[in-house]
Amino acid sequence: MSRIGVIVCHCGSNIAATVDVEQVVQVAKTLPHVAYAADNKYTCSDQGQQAIKEAIVEHRLDRIVIGSCSPRMHELTFRKMLSQTDINPYMLEIANLREQCSWVHKNKAEGTAKAIDLIKMAVAKCDRDQPLFTMSIPVNKRALVIGGGIAGMQAALDIADAGYPVTLVEKEPSLGGKMVMLDKTFPTMDCSACICTPKMADVGSHPNITVKSLAEVEQISGYVGNFEVTIRERAKYIDYSLCTGCGLCETKCPTKTPSSFEQGLGLRKAIYKPFAQAVPGKPTIDAEHCRKLTTGKCGVCEKVCPLGAIRYDDTDKVTAETYGAIVVAIGYQLIDWGSIYGEYGGGRYADVISGLQFERLVNASGPTEGHVVRPSDGQEPKSVVIVKCVGSRDPEHGRSYCSRACCMYGAKHAHQYLDKVPDGRCYVFYMDVRTPGKGYDEFYMNTQHDGALYLRGRVSKIYQQNGKLICQGEDTLSGQQVTVEADMVVLETAMVPANDADRLGSMLGITRDKDLWLSEAHPKLRPVETNSAGIYLAGTCQGPKDIPDSVAQASAAAMKVAVLFAHDELESNAMIASSDVALCNGCGACVSICPYSAITLEEITLRENSKKVTRRISKVNPGLCQGCGACTVACRPGAMDLRGFSDEQIMREVDALCQW
Amino acid sequence: MSDSQSIQASLRSRAAELLASDQVAELIGWGAGRFPDQTTPLFITQADQAEGLVYSEYCQNTLGKYAITELSELVADQGKLAICVRGCESRGINRMLKDNQIERDRLYLLGIPCSGMKNRQSGELLSKCMNCSHKNPVIYDELLGETVAEGEPDRFGAVCALEECDRASREQYFDAAFDRCIRCYACREVCPVCTCRECFVDQHEVGWQGKQGNTTENRFYSLTRAFHISDRCVECGECERACPMGLPLMVLNRKLVKDLDDLFQAGEAGLDAVAVNSLGTYDVADVEEFM
Repeated sequence: MSRIGVIVCHCGSNIAATVDVEQVVQVAKTLPHVAYAADNKYTCSDQGQQAIKEAIVEHRLDRIVIGSCSPRMHELTFRKMLSQTDINPYMLEIANLREQCSWVHKNKAEGTAKAIDLIKMAVAKCDRDQPLFTMSIPVNKRALVIGGGIAGMQAALDIADAGYPVTLVEKEPSLGGKMVMLDKTFPTMDCSACICTPKMADVGSHPNITVKSLAEVEQISGYVGNFEVTIRERAKYIDYSLCTGCGLCETKCPTKTPSSFEQGLGLRKAIYKPFAQAVPGKPTIDAEHCRKLTTGKCGVCEKVCPLGAIRYDDTDKVTAETYGAIVVAIGYQLIDWGSIYGEYGGGRYADVISGLQFERLVNASGPTEGHVVRPSDGQEPKSVVIVKCVGSRDPEHGRSYCSRACCMYGAKHAHQYLDKVPDGRCYVFYMDVRTPGKGYDEFYMNTQHDGALYLRGRVSKIYQQNGKLICQGEDTLSGQQVTVEADMVVLETAMVPANDADRLGSMLGITRDKDLWLSEAHPKLRPVETNSAGIYLAGTCQGPKDIPDSVAQASAAAMKVAVLFAHDELESNAMIASSDVALCNGCGACVSICPYSAITLEEITLRENSKKVTRRISKVNPGLCQGCGACTVACRPGAMDLRGFSDEQIMREVDALCQW
Repeated sequence: MSDSQSIQASLRSRAAELLASDQVAELIGWGAGRFPDQTTPLFITQADQAEGLVYSEYCQNTLGKYAITELSELVADQGKLAICVRGCESRGINRMLKDNQIERDRLYLLGIPCSGMKNRQSGELLSKCMNCSHKNPVIYDELLGETVAEGEPDRFGAVCALEECDRASREQYFDAAFDRCIRCYACREVCPVCTCRECFVDQHEVGWQGKQGNTTENRFYSLTRAFHISDRCVECGECERACPMGLPLMVLNRKLVKDLDDLFQAGEAGLDAVAVNSLGTYDVADVEEFM
């Protein structure tokens, strides 16, 4: 017979305000197998835990029910406490009296009645708890970083500096991501390339880092410590072991095409390095535009290459490797404003550009060598309108969230424009100015001192008239309609998740929020972890943020990887599925439904009814199983059961609710 | 000679040949019952027993399910197990192959095209044969007789009619049926999908199913069984035929078949042995309107 101890927590007034804790304790005392029941002001505190330990000894308890906050919050705390006693840490049930009861109810009588029901169910389930044990699983101390922007590079460098091998997968031909496209960085105005390209060089030359450029993760299986990853490196058509990056091929290539690095404002060749400081510092052939690859005629690069490094017959390389941890740093893209803002011309006006295009325009190594000119006619704009919150804070057109960095880079663009065109006029349409950050508000104030005119309101319409862009909007502070004649308009557009976020998220088992940003495991306490153990987030793939925040998060993710790699073995999850040989008929429904590929069918020979029989049964890999329970639901014979959540325990909970 | 007589003749001669050549160790077909309009499943192992095989318009029993028990008794290298398969049996065989309950290379399937069996009392078409969508076997090793034309079955006619009714009359309809159930579990025994080693109703420890014989427990049994077979039901109708109390079990089964078809384009079960179970797989395109 079990001896259950029930502890009902007040959680200060969090629970006690809506639940009559004393009454719950009195009822708990009358429930079957309950040998002890008490209340506690703060059960999770040292004193609270000590009181439970003493009660276990004094009342010879062999299992515990705690009515408190959500098990997500403190189940681990109480398991750790039990591991310091003679009781197995899994002989524990948590009745969620806070999140699922007191916080969502107002009426004390009803709250108390529900709390009593929850305690009854927990007691009924606890009576059938079995001691559970974990196993050791080996850790493969190699990390995979997906994405070679500033966050991915920082994470890779930190992990590599800690002494562990890292593979960095970048889908573009070069590392650098969005940061290397920027001109200067707020609020210090240091040159973005000057601080980003040395990092790229460090990554490229680090003995512990392997960079795979033009590469994508194709498939991932496995589990923390043991991820099996298939990576596809697209054909570069150049033998990198021979190429020295001399650039002769690029100068001779006859084909020009718009450069995506220059945001369509400049041209590049079909054989190209996206920019001078690219890492790897070697060109690739763009098969879509290369004459030789599309028509079979040309071959100039092959003729001029002094080292014979051109390989027109190059193919994709697919490799499969094992990693212990994964950092996802796939970044963001800018919202496609043209398709949603018809009133801003929908992309028809060449002089309505995005903030990232402005970065290229104002950059000394950009297509205009840093001269701010209109894309349409190359004239210097004497009047510029900057529109903030394009696609952000606009649930009707775009997204409801604040894109966080636009207030600052909008101020930066105004400052840079007025710096380059001192006699120019700059208008900034804004909804609010949000500048939390070191030196941020001072920067904004300086921009106003520079002469930027801030108008509070949205631009409702942009149209062309006599070679000018007419911006209509409302100044909500004066309550008047405003019309500004501009030579150029810069739209500070919202960050949205990268194209790949949804596919990669579903492959890695990372949940996405309503806007498809990858979700962290806990918004406050586990900001870089995901719900999949061993997979971490860095940078803007988790939500809009600026460079310092991205770098900080990347280093945090790297630290999590280093902590994981500091262990040779990991403790496996004890609450996993297992199959009852006697009941399993080998139908395989569990195999196809398991999201972790943790179940296989196995042929076994055994004696049944004094006869030797060979039949197939399902077998769970305890390292792979995450205890999600999908198989237990799919299993019609009821052979698959989840330890800690057995069918019998669930049935007892239902019975307790209906019958006790 | 009528169609069924000619099938009976070729069945007898092929059975004798197969058994004599040791290619086949055992054959499952039908034998004569007590009356001329009655047959019973027949299991033969010798060539000279082939003359006892009967094929007529009264071969009511669907034989597929016997494959599991008979195969477990047969020693693998003694020879194959031959079974007569019509459309209904063949789909059940596919179902059991998919569920890893039998092995294809240990079976020899004698396909029989079938235009439907007759009810002994009324002489009419058996109700389970009325809306048959596969009169010809969908899997076989050899075909006895010519294929017959497929009809235009109205699989969901009864379901649609019931869907038209209001909630109270639907409840009344089913409760009146469940009220009569004696929980003999004949429906489960004959079903090619019910291949659990221990049915949930017999798992006393867990306590899924109460022992009382009342409408509530009967309803729980029938609904749970219907859900267990939902994405696998081959619509052979054998459960309804085997039911001694005449419960309209196929209305319940076909309602779920129809719903799964509407939700996941599940199609018909048992047409091959590789198709995925619509409730046993996840696809990113699945409807998730409740999420």
